[in-house]
Amino acid sequence: MKVQAQGETLNVSGIKELGAANSQVFRDQVKGAMNELHKNIEIDLSETMFVDSCGLGALISLHKTTCNRNGTVRLLNPTPPVQQILELTRMHRIFEIVNN
Amino acid sequence: MAVQSIPVSRNISLRMVLACELVEVRPMTVMMRGFLQEQGVPEEEIQACELALAEAANNAIKYASAEAARKEIQVDVVCGLDQLELRVNDNTAGFEWPRQIELPVVDQETGRGLFLIQSLMDRVNYLRGSGQNCLVMKRKRSAFSHKIESEFQSESERRIAESEKVVRDMAEELSFCYESLSAIFRCSADLGKTNDLGDFARRLLTDLAQITSAEWFVFRMTSSAEQRLEVFASSDSSVLLPALSLAEGGAKSVEADAALAREDVWFDHLNPLKSGDPLAKIRPGSVGLVHPIFLGDSLIGTLTIAKTAGSGAFTAVQANVIHTFADFLAIQIVNSRYTDELVRSRLVSRELEIAKTIQRSLLPKTIPRLSGYGLAGFCESAHQVGGDFYDVIKINDDAILLIIADVMGKGIPAAMFAAILRSLLRAVPEWMNQPAALLGRVNRLLFEELSGVDMFITAQLVYVDSRARSLTAASAGHCPLLLALDEEGNVKALSPEGLPLGILPETTFSNQTEVLPKNCRILLYTDGLTEARNVSGEFFGQDRLVRWLRKSSQSKQPAEQLKDDLAAELIAFQSAASLSDDQTFLIMAE
Repeated sequence: MKVQAQGETLNVSGIKELGAANSQVFRDQVKGAMNELHKNIEIDLSETMFVDSCGLGALISLHKTTCNRNGTVRLLNPTPPVQQILELTRMHRIFEIVNN
Repeated sequence: MAVQSIPVSRNISLRMVLACELVEVRPMTVMMRGFLQEQGVPEEEIQACELALAEAANNAIKYASAEAARKEIQVDVVCGLDQLELRVNDNTAGFEWPRQIELPVVDQETGRGLFLIQSLMDRVNYLRGSGQNCLVMKRKRSAFSHKIESEFQSESERRIAESEKVVRDMAEELSFCYESLSAIFRCSADLGKTNDLGDFARRLLTDLAQITSAEWFVFRMTSSAEQRLEVFASSDSSVLLPALSLAEGGAKSVEADAALAREDVWFDHLNPLKSGDPLAKIRPGSVGLVHPIFLGDSLIGTLTIAKTAGSGAFTAVQANVIHTFADFLAIQIVNSRYTDELVRSRLVSRELEIAKTIQRSLLPKTIPRLSGYGLAGFCESAHQVGGDFYDVIKINDDAILLIIADVMGKGIPAAMFAAILRSLLRAVPEWMNQPAALLGRVNRLLFEELSGVDMFITAQLVYVDSRARSLTAASAGHCPLLLALDEEGNVKALSPEGLPLGILPETTFSNQTEVLPKNCRILLYTDGLTEARNVSGEFFGQDRLVRWLRKSSQSKQPAEQLKDDLAAELIAFQSAASLSDDQTFLIMAE
């Protein structure tokens, strides 16, 4: 996983999967990388082949953190299985999902 | 993890045994993926099984007691011709499978596992034993893949069919993009032709509703410092919706909720519109969302768009299209309003230009001469031009009437009144030696017009007779006339009684007569002089003006030079501070 800061935004990429086994570590790493400048988090999901409910929990937790800073979490290019779980759990209502 | 293949008639199955640890779960589901791929199960079905199995196994591990955690978990996958079956044996105390599983509130971090299993599988049974339970999950195989399986079509044909499905999905998404773009272009072209922004918004949103299969929409925009949301366009103009106040909090309105929370709020049968919500009366049981629109940090408005319950919620693609339209619309409206403001401000500056021209035309081109005396006038307009003017009317070789006036008001109306006053004063030459009577006459003539527009005029008339060496002054609420009596610098301020013109219909003015001593100077001015401010906000004031007059009377400067001197004094005092009112004065010097 790669975490890069760009202005007010933290870019997270290179996530292969986000499941029960690694979601806690993922959440801690991203939060650990945030400093007081960062309002938004962009998570590149183009390489993420698997997300389960624990992974969603981690994304929601980051969403709450950014909300407290008046920012957002944007999910970039989710793969079809990830897009499916986001829609199934209606997560597209709270996350900005960007496909390009 | 141990793996074992069990041959079952017509069904092929896979058994996996894993230690009770979360890290074991993913390798196990990946193993299942390989197994199902080998059986030619389509990707979509594999994904569903993978996720459901992961959720089930996670639960079996997370809820295991310390003792149970020492035991292994057994997972069976059975691939049949028309269904896939997954079985997870757990060693937990077990739990009551809920009769109805609902999604937790959006920001809750846990509690979606069972919902996912239920959504992805067609049938779920939780069989409870003592110290061991079994979760049985079944999913019917689609007719599509079944047909292929049963007809033993080749792998390449199966791949082609899958690619076709992907292409269909992409085509659907592309057609969304195409429809969105063409609607936006069509409406943008229309925007150039219309001034009716409400109509523009309604047409754009009607297109959006068509593209997203929505039935109704309400578009509100903010007014009065983002505190109120007023309906700007809606699909059904017969439903009257009240303006929403954001200051009161948004308890009863989902639109206010979304605006205050700064994020989308969705409503459906689980989170229906509250009965007090103004939107609830549009169509009962609607399903949709409210999107708050921001430009930078400021709230521009909200877009609510919805359909009837039967047709299901908006998909992620549709939600994206809705966001794009809403943001585009807001930008167009804000731009257009900005353009309107530009036009308006151009009109205002044109009006000021006209007013300035009128005002300049009121000043005498050349000042008449009075034997033995010099006369000079100064009039500097402020940016927001008012109605100051001065005038000098020659009555005969030995007598003149000095006039200074200040119309209280701005722009063309003030300039017009100044012009009328000037003409009225010049109309009756035989009254010019009686300033008080002349003021009474113009007050009667102007009262109705002035009070009708809440304006008034202060004015001062000074009749000077050089042969008699006397002056007679009358004032309509104007600032005092300053008379420098001698070269020692004694200054007298004359304030004959009188109300400004336009205050009372019948009012009397009084004349004050003074002898003109030798080498006297007379200064008539408007309050723009005494109320001029310097950078620290200090007024120029009458004292400073008297001091200047006292100092200047000790020199023998002619009127023209005195005028330049006072103008320079004013400019130096104000330095960088800009002119807030017209500054006008008239000097007479012997």
